[in-house]
Amino acid sequence: MFTSPMASFERFDDMCDPKLEPKKLRNLLSEYVPNEKQPVTNFLSLSEVVSTIATHKLLSESPMASTEQKLQTKSKSAVDDWVDRLLTLISSDMPDKCWVGICLMGVTCQECSSDRFFTSYSVWFNSLLSHIKNPESSRIVRVASCTSISDLLTRLSRFSNTKKDAVSHAAKVILPIIKLLDEDPSEALWESIVHLLTTVVILFPAAFHSNYDKVEAAIASKIFSAKTSSNMLKKFAHFLALLPKANKGDEGSWSLMMQKLLISINVHLNNFFQGLEEETKGKKALQRLTPPGKDSPLPLGGQNGGLDDASWNSEQLIVTRVSALMFCCSTMLTSSSRSKVNIPVGSLLSLVERVLAVNGSLPRAVSPFMTGIQQELVCAELPTLHSSALELLLATIKSIRSQLLPYAASVVRLVSSYFRKCSLPELKIKLYSITTTLLKSMGVGMAMQLAQEVVNNASVDLGTTTVEGFDAVSSKTPLLTKGVVLQAGSKKRKHSTKSGAEAENSAFEVGLPHNHSNSPISLKLAALEALETLLNIGGALGSDSWRERVDTLVMTTATNACVGRWASAATYGCLPNVSCTDQVEIQLAALRAFLASLVSPSRVRPKFLAEGLELFRTGKFQAEMKVAGFCAHALMTLEVVIHPRALPLDGLPSLGERFPESTSLASQKHNNLNGIAHSGDGLYNRWLSNADPPSINEIQRSLDTTLPLQETKRLKLGNDLATSVEDHTDMVASENVQEAHVSEKDPESTEETQGHGSEKDNMVPKEGEDLAVKDSLMEEAAIGKKRDSLGESDDDSVPSLQADDFLSSDSDIES
Amino acid sequence: MEISIVASSSIEGEIGSWDLKTGKALLKFKPCASPAHGLTAVGDKFLAASQLRKDRNASDSSGSGSNSGSIFFWSWNKPQVEVRSFLLEPILALAANSEGTYIVGGSGGKPGYIYLWEVATGKLLKKWHGHYRSVTCLVFSGDDSLLVSGSEDGSIKVWSLIRLFDDLQSQQGNAPPEHYFTEHTMSVTDIVMDYGGCNALIVSASEDRTCKVWSLAKGKLLRSIVFPSAINALALDPCGSVFYAGGRDSKIYIGAMNATSDHCTKVLGSISEESKAITCLAYCAEGNHLISGSEDGKICVWDPKTRHPVRTFDHGKGPVSNIQVVRKTIVTNLNKTLSSWKRNGASLPPFLEKSKKSDEDIMDGIVTVEPPPFSDVPVYARYLSANLINEQVRELQQQGSAATEIEMERLKLEYKKSLQMNDQWEKNYENLLKVVMEEQNGASN
Repeated sequence: MFTSPMASFERFDDMCDPKLEPKKLRNLLSEYVPNEKQPVTNFLSLSEVVSTIATHKLLSESPMASTEQKLQTKSKSAVDDWVDRLLTLISSDMPDKCWVGICLMGVTCQECSSDRFFTSYSVWFNSLLSHIKNPESSRIVRVASCTSISDLLTRLSRFSNTKKDAVSHAAKVILPIIKLLDEDPSEALWESIVHLLTTVVILFPAAFHSNYDKVEAAIASKIFSAKTSSNMLKKFAHFLALLPKANKGDEGSWSLMMQKLLISINVHLNNFFQGLEEETKGKKALQRLTPPGKDSPLPLGGQNGGLDDASWNSEQLIVTRVSALMFCCSTMLTSSSRSKVNIPVGSLLSLVERVLAVNGSLPRAVSPFMTGIQQELVCAELPTLHSSALELLLATIKSIRSQLLPYAASVVRLVSSYFRKCSLPELKIKLYSITTTLLKSMGVGMAMQLAQEVVNNASVDLGTTTVEGFDAVSSKTPLLTKGVVLQAGSKKRKHSTKSGAEAENSAFEVGLPHNHSNSPISLKLAALEALETLLNIGGALGSDSWRERVDTLVMTTATNACVGRWASAATYGCLPNVSCTDQVEIQLAALRAFLASLVSPSRVRPKFLAEGLELFRTGKFQAEMKVAGFCAHALMTLEVVIHPRALPLDGLPSLGERFPESTSLASQKHNNLNGIAHSGDGLYNRWLSNADPPSINEIQRSLDTTLPLQETKRLKLGNDLATSVEDHTDMVASENVQEAHVSEKDPESTEETQGHGSEKDNMVPKEGEDLAVKDSLMEEAAIGKKRDSLGESDDDSVPSLQADDFLSSDSDIES
Repeated sequence: MEISIVASSSIEGEIGSWDLKTGKALLKFKPCASPAHGLTAVGDKFLAASQLRKDRNASDSSGSGSNSGSIFFWSWNKPQVEVRSFLLEPILALAANSEGTYIVGGSGGKPGYIYLWEVATGKLLKKWHGHYRSVTCLVFSGDDSLLVSGSEDGSIKVWSLIRLFDDLQSQQGNAPPEHYFTEHTMSVTDIVMDYGGCNALIVSASEDRTCKVWSLAKGKLLRSIVFPSAINALALDPCGSVFYAGGRDSKIYIGAMNATSDHCTKVLGSISEESKAITCLAYCAEGNHLISGSEDGKICVWDPKTRHPVRTFDHGKGPVSNIQVVRKTIVTNLNKTLSSWKRNGASLPPFLEKSKKSDEDIMDGIVTVEPPPFSDVPVYARYLSANLINEQVRELQQQGSAATEIEMERLKLEYKKSLQMNDQWEKNYENLLKVVMEEQNGASN
């Protein structure tokens, strides 16, 4: 492999021998990297070179080598040669050689040792910069120069001792590349320029200093230009969002940029929405942004900020621009700002509201200035605009977190009203993700507000067709409502996978990329995610209303997604396309939502527990590891549901300081109940030993109704046994039990005032008794303390029988 | 992470703070005399305490006119009061949400109003009629979306903050509470809420010698547990459906939330033999410590497993009215903290507004958002050169790509056209030549 004749007699330890490294590098240099005489023949080998350098760290001049002086000099001279070769290539006249040199220099900046970089970065920088400044250099060379300089600056930012020098280097780049941006119409070059600008603004914001306005104007003019592609628009907008960091990085510049953007958006919309909304709306929005008495800022991009009139006529252009500006706002909101910022929530929300209110219909109040064609053009662009507005809403919610509170109610109203209007799947997906974010960030209170809306929409989106993307099949499957129909449906689907014609048909559907049936799948994913989040956060709230419906819906969806589809996922696995992962994703989402519905707190035993366990058990054996892994997790989670645990509380109260009456009480109750369970987790053992295990329902019901009655009986029994002092307490106890019992059993029927009255009545005469009780308690406590101090307290590591029984016998069901 | 406990007393004195791990006394903030539940940490920004007036009893009878209250704020690094906010009526209970963006206060007046201020600006965002009598405690739910308030009149209400801010509903009058519990017969002294999320259990303590367990989801009383004495304070064991109740008889009781017996039967311990009442309790999840404060100014840290006190602090003579466990992240580099603090600018406590302005003023639509914690981490840009090479090489490889093919077709077409053009010209030339030759021949002939 190593062709150098000098080396052929040398032996190496193994493939990791550091002595190999300089040899490899020299080999690369002689074999693959062009020199000034040879022309570049094989570009393909360049990626090979780059990956070899990265894997073997050939340029690192590793400190390991420092033990061997000889080796160190060898590796140093090899890298020296490498760098020299690159520099000659960079200064070559041939653009292809130059390009190779510049690209590899970028890699060198990333890979070389710190010492080498630190001593020579200035030279490298200047040689790279000369190509950007040189008007003669070809485009491909310029693109490479921008990227390599960006890498150089990135490496430079990690040296903390050269901040000033680094900033001055970075500052030298700004003006030349802004000039290039204006002159050269190539998108590839724009892209690398934006990347370089982004690097500078993130790492050395101070470098912009006096050129801030120029940069803003240049970028704004690109955004407002009709020639910019949508891909580049996004990149420019992203950079513009970061730009305020460069202007002293304070909250003022952030707010100013936001204000400029919002004004620009609203001005554009005023034009676009002419005839579609009341004109006062736009005026109000602008008034809000520039309150009277304050100077309005310069328009975005300086005095003649790009609002050239030619473009006013194109609806499409306006919408692309507004979308780009909205994207810029969203990025500003979500990109983590390091200082505190004043977010104009009011303006942002009213902007979103304004956009979403326009649906293309002509309001009656407005005299129809609009021609049919105009309306048609506007309507064609509205979905894009709505989508951007929803993105902006999402970014706003994410950025202000808990402080959304005063506006939360209006956001809820906006979201639910738009849910009713919205029919396009893409917009609905966004709406679902907004809902999910709202639920996650605002919790239970938000779940109370949004639950109904989520459930209604999700049942529409999940209910009408089956989950899969197989339109050919699913359209034939009848609407699934009840278990019987469900079974029929799944049978049918099983059948369909077997029958040749239909399988072929569905395979054909799957094979189509960007088939329209793909969007419903992602819609279903979004709906399932929203349901899962709702169950996670507010599952217990819906017990009276929507819970049962959701449980059924989620169960049906999960069964449909999985049963009879396990196999198909494997069958189609060989087709290299997206739909396969779709299949897995929808299964995962459905299973996740199903698990949430089984585990989420509820007043009754989960209705579909058996179905769920069976489904997860089957799922565990699937070849698809993600699904199998999740099913295993689900089974573990459900284990707690089928074997409710009441583990002994670690060392918490034991017999030591217990009052005698309670001891007797507890032991009696214990005997009454079953009289087993001598150690460990009481409930579990008892449950295991019971011939007829009570369901959770039963336990709960017994807890609600039967136990108090039994208890009073037992208490009376206890009274007979108890000594005279304890007698008092037990009297009080039983009375109180009855009271609590009454109020708990049916609080609706018992009038509250009555309950209060009787309690108060009881309170007064009890006073004397209570005092006595108190004394006895004090005594008891004192005894307990003494016992403690004598070291006779119970061993905490072995939880005692009564303690377990007391704390866990009926426990953990309610909570 | 530095975990410290902060305690205030109800007579004129100071707020003491101690490091829970080492027991070292930290800064003392003064002067302060705050009622029970009147001390709260506002995020990790600062400390707030409502103040008891010395002449409170006198002014109580005279009506609300001269009766004013105040809330003091301290920064964590300064013992002096940073900001004194004076309000129209005395505030008893005070609480802040976990992010420290809102403060709620419950008034000590006859109709117990609840106030909600925005911390960043000090604006009074909402003021609503909470209870018939003064509000004694306020507790945020785990996700800060609900507020539980307890009152001297024995009632407990659960409010949805989102609904409170619903303008449409508030136009039709006050938004009603989500739940309204009236089973307590005497003043509610403390409320705690467990980690159950939407299915959380709420435990309340009262002077009527009971602690009651409520279900948030069902909105009703689950059980009532009778204690030998009035309960002043509650603390929750986060993992064990068990709560601790500090009694007026100096004992700390252990209650089981799902006990079948309606009696509390266990005692963790008592602070002193002289039966000084337990006035407040707090639970610190790190290391599982229960912290109690008592009427004689003693603060005691317990290990609930062994039921022995681990450490005691002395907090002067006055009764301890509040104990808070405060978690602060320590930034090792002090300069960095200072600079980031400066950059974040006005992390100063707000001057709270006395009364509510009109709705338009409140909703001016600007919200000041603090950077999320740990946003000071250095950013790393990505290296791109290697990618660029690979991309360009791939482009070179894809010779048959659509773009080049289209270009090829176009060039072919153009080539064909040029060939035709060439032929045309040639023909023209030949014709012309012929004509010229013929004419020449004719002329010569």
